[in-house]
Amino acid sequence: MAAIWLLTKKNIKLLIRARWSALIIIFAPLLLILLLGLSYNTSNSFGIIVGVYAPQFTEDVNAFANLLKEEQFIVKEYHDNINSCVDDIKEGAVHTCISLPENLHVEDNTQKEITFYVDPSRINLVWMVQETVKGKFNLKSQEISQSLTQDILSRVSKTKEGLSLKQEEVGTIKTKTSSVSETTGTVKNSLSSLDLQASTTTYDLGDLNNLTTILTASKEKLGLAITAVKDANLDENKSKEILAALHSASGSLDKTISSFGEGGTGQAILNLQKDLDTAKAKLVAASSAVSTSTQTLSSSAATLSELTTALETLKNSLTEMQSQLDALKVTDANTITSPFVTKIEKVSGEKTYLNYLFPALLVLVIMFSTLLLGTTLVMIEKHSPAFVRNFFVPVSKFTFIMSIYFTNLVMIIIQILVILGISLFFMKDALGSLGLVALVLFIGASVFTFIGMVIGYMFMSEETGVLASISLGSVLLLFSGVILPLEAVPPLIRTIAGFNPFVLTEKLVREVFLFGVPLSQNIVQLSILVGYAVILFVVILILESLLHKHLVGRFMHRHHVFHRQREKRLKNI
Amino acid sequence: MDLIRLREVTKEYRKRAVLSNVNLTIEEGDIFGVIGQSGSGKTTLLNLIAGFIEPTDGEVVYYSEGNSKEKNLHRNFSQIKNKIGYTPQHNSLYPKLTVKENLWHFGRLYKMDKQTLQANIRNLLNFTHLTDFQDYLAEHLSGGMQKRLDLSCSLIHKPRLLILDEPTSDLDPVLQKEIIHLLQEVNKQGVTIIIASHHLEGVETICNKVAIIHQGKVHSHGLLDDLRKPYLKDHFTIRVGSVEQKQQLINKLQTLPIQKIVDKGRTLVIYPTNIQETMRSLLQIVKEDNLYLHNLDMRRPSLNEIFEKITTEATK
Repeated sequence: MAAIWLLTKKNIKLLIRARWSALIIIFAPLLLILLLGLSYNTSNSFGIIVGVYAPQFTEDVNAFANLLKEEQFIVKEYHDNINSCVDDIKEGAVHTCISLPENLHVEDNTQKEITFYVDPSRINLVWMVQETVKGKFNLKSQEISQSLTQDILSRVSKTKEGLSLKQEEVGTIKTKTSSVSETTGTVKNSLSSLDLQASTTTYDLGDLNNLTTILTASKEKLGLAITAVKDANLDENKSKEILAALHSASGSLDKTISSFGEGGTGQAILNLQKDLDTAKAKLVAASSAVSTSTQTLSSSAATLSELTTALETLKNSLTEMQSQLDALKVTDANTITSPFVTKIEKVSGEKTYLNYLFPALLVLVIMFSTLLLGTTLVMIEKHSPAFVRNFFVPVSKFTFIMSIYFTNLVMIIIQILVILGISLFFMKDALGSLGLVALVLFIGASVFTFIGMVIGYMFMSEETGVLASISLGSVLLLFSGVILPLEAVPPLIRTIAGFNPFVLTEKLVREVFLFGVPLSQNIVQLSILVGYAVILFVVILILESLLHKHLVGRFMHRHHVFHRQREKRLKNI
Repeated sequence: MDLIRLREVTKEYRKRAVLSNVNLTIEEGDIFGVIGQSGSGKTTLLNLIAGFIEPTDGEVVYYSEGNSKEKNLHRNFSQIKNKIGYTPQHNSLYPKLTVKENLWHFGRLYKMDKQTLQANIRNLLNFTHLTDFQDYLAEHLSGGMQKRLDLSCSLIHKPRLLILDEPTSDLDPVLQKEIIHLLQEVNKQGVTIIIASHHLEGVETICNKVAIIHQGKVHSHGLLDDLRKPYLKDHFTIRVGSVEQKQQLINKLQTLPIQKIVDKGRTLVIYPTNIQETMRSLLQIVKEDNLYLHNLDMRRPSLNEIFEKITTEATK
């Protein structure tokens, strides 16, 4: 145990006393965690640019846009069509697009469709945007759902109140109806009690018939006499006198006939008189009953009239309630609970996860390879036993630096070819874009190579240099948006991170590979990368000029000390 | 003809003088040895001449071929550097390249045309006896072979000046001899050689001129014989086979002009008045009397002895 502690103490001392190693080991994690802490210690999403498209920017749409702005999203409005927004996603100018309907009011049973357009290659950003923006939609959806339900409930409540009120009216109607029913029963009884039975007695009218016949025959003879008078050429005056007498006789006969004597017919007439009296009495009774019934019926008619009015009112109320219920346009439970339906459209078309991750993975591999290779190659050269010999050869520093760069490049080209070649196996449709991807990677790899070389020149031991390269690579990776979205860091850090060569290279590769965007559209990023390469090359030249003699001196000193120690050891032996 | 001259050269590191007021001249064709204890400043001196470091004060001057016009070595280093071949203490090779590839690589860096380079490689491989190993990786060679290859790499561009730092360190005596022989051959081809070494026997064997450095100062420099003169011996020792022979020899020696004989058992220390005459007479006696001498030490002072004396005096 003591030995372990002793050895551990020794190792720690050695590490701490090797100044650069100590700095890297102690301060690199500190710096890294400090940077990360400063950058990501927030739950805000500072720089997400949300493109909003709607056929018309109504109050609803603007309200929603404001809701997003409150969440520190930058809202970019698109009035013409969604395609320009989608193009901006591809170029990285916008992180997500939302296609909204004209308004967010739900007017019928159709759910409002809201479409998100996202770049699936930026999974973490998609996740963050969806989480936050969908949250806003859910809020809005909940609000609308609540309003719809409230509307239904208030209508139901009104109907309930109306029904409660009308219940009393129905009671009154019921009372009145039973009263009418009773009255009608009474009328029925009254009418059914009327005796309208007539007498069945028969009267012998033979004598009356004989008398009538005789009188009729007399009358006919008088008629004949009248005719004979008329035919006889009698003096006109005489005739007239005779005829008048005849006619008078005829009239008398008629009167007789009509009022034939009371002899045989008297009894009949008495019986008839009796019957007539009975009938008269009955009719009086009937008349009285009818009069009473008429009064009752009149009262019933009034009640029925009231009932009609009450029923009419009830009908109107019910119609009103029905129309109120009919006014509910949203009756579909699905629409009420989820008034919005969200749809996610990928701007790059359907591809596999490998496709989406490929640009980041590719740049990641290239970055670490080139950083380490650049550092290692410089270290190999610096620590090569032949380093000192190169001091005398008539070769410029530029040539030496370029030779290291080209060595790196050959390795990287092989690496790129291998990676792209293998990727073709999985992504056969990517063949068309591989040329441009290789070009971007070539430029990016040059930048990372030069960074690696700078580290190689700056640090003395290979271990420290490699450690520094890995640390720097980690910083570049952590501030690339691949692990955590850059949109979550404060604006200043995000702006700085925007110049991260990893971010620039990854963006270029992604746009070329996934969206087929021509490089001419990303000329700024490309120029920055080339600029980096040139600046770093100049830095290396300066470093090499400043440090070369120092490096040779150190190299010589190191070997000299080594040999002296060796000699001492040999002498001691 | 002068090749390199150091004028009042001082080199300080953090205000501590590693070399002080060094004045030296190395002529063309010299094999110049720089000797000193560890930390005396010999490597610094070599680094100054090689151009790795610049003097804090004074200057190192280089004389071009066939031209007496002097050039400041450090200011004109880009023009001068390809005239210098440098072999550091460690092997300065690419271990993962073959013997031939190493030579080809450095030859091409010196912008030699392919035909000349091929001829040079062939000659150097023959010269260093590495022809059979030309396709071996440098790291697979033995220590001696690596040293020879290193030397070849320094000579590939036919330099005017070859600087070697401890060329024989880490080598066994046979290999040391081999390297010394090679260097003599190189010198014969007109290459001036500067060697820094603490292997004084080797330096004594090969160098015609020597500079002795102690504590950053050149205490003595010049032709080796000139360095010896103040330290030539006034006595010699003989070791005889038996006591009888010793007595016989003492009796004979007393007839010679000898100041003093010190008897140390079988060893006699003899202080003659004339060392050369006495030595001649002694050899005559041994031959005539058929005596057997185990050892006769009549050496001139070795470089090691001179060096020790100088450094001891300097320390006092």
